[in-house]
Amino acid sequence: MVLAVFSTSCVAVKEFDKVYLNDEEMMLSAKASERFETNFQIYREAASGANGGKSGGGCGCN
Amino acid sequence: MFLTLKWGFSQDAISNSYTKRVLETAEIDLLFSYYDQDGDNAAVTGGEGTEELTDATSSIVVKIPLNPDDVLTVDVGISAYSSASTSNIDPFDKNSSIASPFNASSGASQSDALVHFNPSYQHSSKDRNSVYSVQGYVSSEYDYFSIGFGGGYTRLFNEKNTEISASFQVFLDSWNPQYPIEFRPGFSSQDASGSGTYISSFSAFEDETRNSYSLSLGFAQILTKRMQASIFMDIVSQQGLLSTPHQRVYFGDVNDFFIEDFQLGDNVEQLPDTRFKIPIGARLNYYLNDRVILRSYYRYYSDDWGINAHTTSLEIPIKLSDKFTLYPNYRYYSQTAADYFYEKEAATSNLPFYTSDYDLSAYNAHQYGAGIRYKDIFTSAKVLTFGLKTIDLRFGKYDRNDGLNAYIFSLGTTFVGD
Repeated sequence: MVLAVFSTSCVAVKEFDKVYLNDEEMMLSAKASERFETNFQIYREAASGANGGKSGGGCGCN
Repeated sequence: MFLTLKWGFSQDAISNSYTKRVLETAEIDLLFSYYDQDGDNAAVTGGEGTEELTDATSSIVVKIPLNPDDVLTVDVGISAYSSASTSNIDPFDKNSSIASPFNASSGASQSDALVHFNPSYQHSSKDRNSVYSVQGYVSSEYDYFSIGFGGGYTRLFNEKNTEISASFQVFLDSWNPQYPIEFRPGFSSQDASGSGTYISSFSAFEDETRNSYSLSLGFAQILTKRMQASIFMDIVSQQGLLSTPHQRVYFGDVNDFFIEDFQLGDNVEQLPDTRFKIPIGARLNYYLNDRVILRSYYRYYSDDWGINAHTTSLEIPIKLSDKFTLYPNYRYYSQTAADYFYEKEAATSNLPFYTSDYDLSAYNAHQYGAGIRYKDIFTSAKVLTFGLKTIDLRFGKYDRNDGLNAYIFSLGTTFVGD
């Protein structure tokens, strides 16, 4: 339902109008420079995933 | 499946006289981080003891455009750490001060290095509306080996205003367990002080493998000329040895035994051999003006060990000039305890599952940080034939309400080929 609302309630933005959206800081994913912070958070916290990072592998035991 | 998908969407291709390359030239990322933590609830010593740990990691990521549509990425790195708590897998080395969970030992488990190799390959359709990817993963440290693979598909439509994605990852891991010294053959407890005879509940794990399977689904949507959002979910199943073999547990219903100031373990932690996790996250980014952007994130997490967690963060990139961006950030995290978590001496020997790992306890954490980015789109500074494109410097301070605190510095540079 959320997907339907998102995809039908918005007017499509044309390519030439995406100058703000194409700004590097508007990227809809974690930045490469955040990878080490994400890594220690995976080790120290029980929750992980849903951030585009690795969701398994590695013992996380130190 | 790859060929089927490729054939299926090839008919959507738009014939253009010029198609922009996915990646114009080769890029090299050089990444480095330094992490330091301390606390008093070490899992190796049953929830009481020093958690002092330092880690230095360096990685190199090389992205190579093979043709206008395909990019090969290779990510290799090494992480070297020194840990006071894992040093107490054997606290009775003869070279250090009196054995205690609050003193680091100088044994072999004091330090280790993890190396990883992560190649990936990405193909984009001619109309850039479909992206396929495959990846591999190998990592190794002294007591743990991991090998994995995965693949994904992303589809853009609605004039590239809408994006859906699906990917999977499989990790096939194996332990080389390093049990606490008192549980190993040949250990003598004759010097132990305590009432009666020291007998632990320990027996070695039979299954030393750990497999993880994850499916990730994503949906992203442009909402206005200045705002876009995404929702994503992972479904993760783990099987095998999910306990950490060197983490001690002390029972409340058996006598305590000490050598010097170090209490001998009653067992290592025992956790179920399956775990099912569902994290659901969302991002919302807003371009406020030419100086300020808002990047927000929220995640809800739940698993069948009884843990529920909330994560939220906000980063505010502030463009100081054409080349410099400052980005202060804040992150809040909270979780409930696993059903199997017990403080030291709170578990009893008749329970099937128990751990005193405070990473599985109830707590909340605040992380404050800031970063600064230098970006030169003209790559005027050169190293050999590569031009310097960006430098990212980040700092984060992490404070948990159970006393664990940490800080991390990270540095990333990107060079692009001529």
